[in-house]
Amino acid sequence: MADYIPFVLNALTLISILMVVSMGLAIIFGLMNVINLAHGEFITIGAFTLVAVQAAGGSFWLALLIAPMVGFVIGLVLERLLIARVYADPLHAILATWGLSLIIQQVLQLVFGAAPQPVTGPFPGSVDLFGASYPAYRLFLIAVSLAIFAATVILFRKTRFGLDLRASIQSSEMASVMGIDPARINARAFAFGAALAALAGVLLAPLTSVTAYMGVNYLARSFFVVLVGGAGSVGGVAAGSGLIGGLETFLSYQIPATMAQALVLIMAVVILRFRPKGIVPA
Amino acid sequence: MTQALSLRPATKIAIAVVAALALMPFVSEGYVLSNWRDVMLLALFALSLDLFWGKTGILSFGHATFFGLGAYGMAITTTRFGIDPAWASLAGLGFGVGLAVLVAALVGYFMIYGGVRGAYFTIVTLAMTIVANNIAIGWSSVTGGDSGLIGVPPFQAFGVTFSSPVMSFWLVLCILALCLFGTTRVMNGRTGLVLTAIRDSEVKAETLGYRTPLILLATFVASAAMAALAGAIYATGTGFVAPDMIALLLSTEVIIWVAVGGSGSLIGAVIGTVVVWHLQQKISSISIAAWPIAIGSFFILLVLVFPKGLPDFALSLWRRFKSGKGGQA
Repeated sequence: MADYIPFVLNALTLISILMVVSMGLAIIFGLMNVINLAHGEFITIGAFTLVAVQAAGGSFWLALLIAPMVGFVIGLVLERLLIARVYADPLHAILATWGLSLIIQQVLQLVFGAAPQPVTGPFPGSVDLFGASYPAYRLFLIAVSLAIFAATVILFRKTRFGLDLRASIQSSEMASVMGIDPARINARAFAFGAALAALAGVLLAPLTSVTAYMGVNYLARSFFVVLVGGAGSVGGVAAGSGLIGGLETFLSYQIPATMAQALVLIMAVVILRFRPKGIVPA
Repeated sequence: MTQALSLRPATKIAIAVVAALALMPFVSEGYVLSNWRDVMLLALFALSLDLFWGKTGILSFGHATFFGLGAYGMAITTTRFGIDPAWASLAGLGFGVGLAVLVAALVGYFMIYGGVRGAYFTIVTLAMTIVANNIAIGWSSVTGGDSGLIGVPPFQAFGVTFSSPVMSFWLVLCILALCLFGTTRVMNGRTGLVLTAIRDSEVKAETLGYRTPLILLATFVASAAMAALAGAIYATGTGFVAPDMIALLLSTEVIIWVAVGGSGSLIGAVIGTVVVWHLQQKISSISIAAWPIAIGSFFILLVLVFPKGLPDFALSLWRRFKSGKGGQA
């Protein structure tokens, strides 16, 4: 029994972080049909917010509070300046957001340097859980990520913004006829997705090496979450994260991590072949 | 209809470009010539992307995977297996191109027959490059990891060794010319028309009895094979392979080369590569960090200012300039 607990918790760590990261992507994709290749950079921006806050003497908790705001504001500005102009053509959206991603990466690297940035997370020790010792911070990360996900679901189901958003995902035209301003909802949804990614970036930072390119690895994974799970649905994000995160963690126990990633990619492509709309279509 | 009319000038330009390149060995030598050989191989790589993206309208973000498979296939075969040097290059070429064909056929089959098109296709091919790059770095016992593999011998086949810059230049020019005129000819013919029909409306083309998934898959595989050919010969020219030959940045750069030349024109990809490559040398010599920023800005400009491609933008500017003058007279 105790042997399986670290495995389950490792899987849960990846799954829960993927849920937060992919949520923003799924909203943006489901609502505007825009594939945001700069999404990974909002994770990086979140992580670098932590770096900057800690370098200025602030705490982890302060960064956890500030990062989503930074992500939200940058997301809002970029949506207005660039993303809003490329909704019409998915290919243009891909090229423009990819260009954006390259620029953000280089600017971050110019400002902070190429070496991995030092960050410290709270809860350095381990706790005993059913006879197995496990890092406390990872438990905290799982709990916070699941809470964020739950809060997003509630926001979706119970608030006016969520209702408008769901209506617009179903039919943007119909929603605008009912008085929902599509430009406004798009901008807020994009910024909200960016804020979630930045939050995930802060949570991730103590576990990985913080560099300007850290977002890329999560970008590919979270795209598979959205594609496999189904775009634009909360259930799809949960199912996709569970599948991709669980599979990758399981495989990385058996074979080298890079091979595990390749196998997950192959399996995701095979799943797409048979369920082109994802496991849980919107 | 415009397609049929614009093809003839494209062929003329292609002949002119190849002729101009053929003059190179008479006016330059050594290092400069080797540089031109590498640029021509990158142009062949761009041509392979244009064959798929330009003709089907589906953007592949993963062509560096095929280029890299060609390069790594060549490097691994020639440096690790101890094959008779007289045949190692051909074996490496076969292995590299074979790997790329296999991967393209597998990934392409599941996606194209699964109905994955457009943006989804782009994302999956992008992820494919990320994974391929991770493998090239992580599987160091075979790929040499971060430092790559060195000691790839010059291309050698049928008793001829293409080791001098002049010899290898001619080899590459012949390959490029063959591929360029070959693809132009095929695309001028029936296959090109069918592909145009699929790009415009796949449903209509299918209704007319064409097995569109098969045609798209064949184009994708042929394109991958050409990219791998470019990669394999590139490795014999430089003598080494490194993970940046199978990386996302290369996938990105090749898209720019094609976009600058105007996608779908084939020869445009070759010209675009030559132009952008020289620009890149200039910008990178100022600062290495400036180049990715320049690429990023170019993508954004491409979308916002000249969405139909650079040549189209220049042409419409020129027309406006001319008609503006005509209106005043």
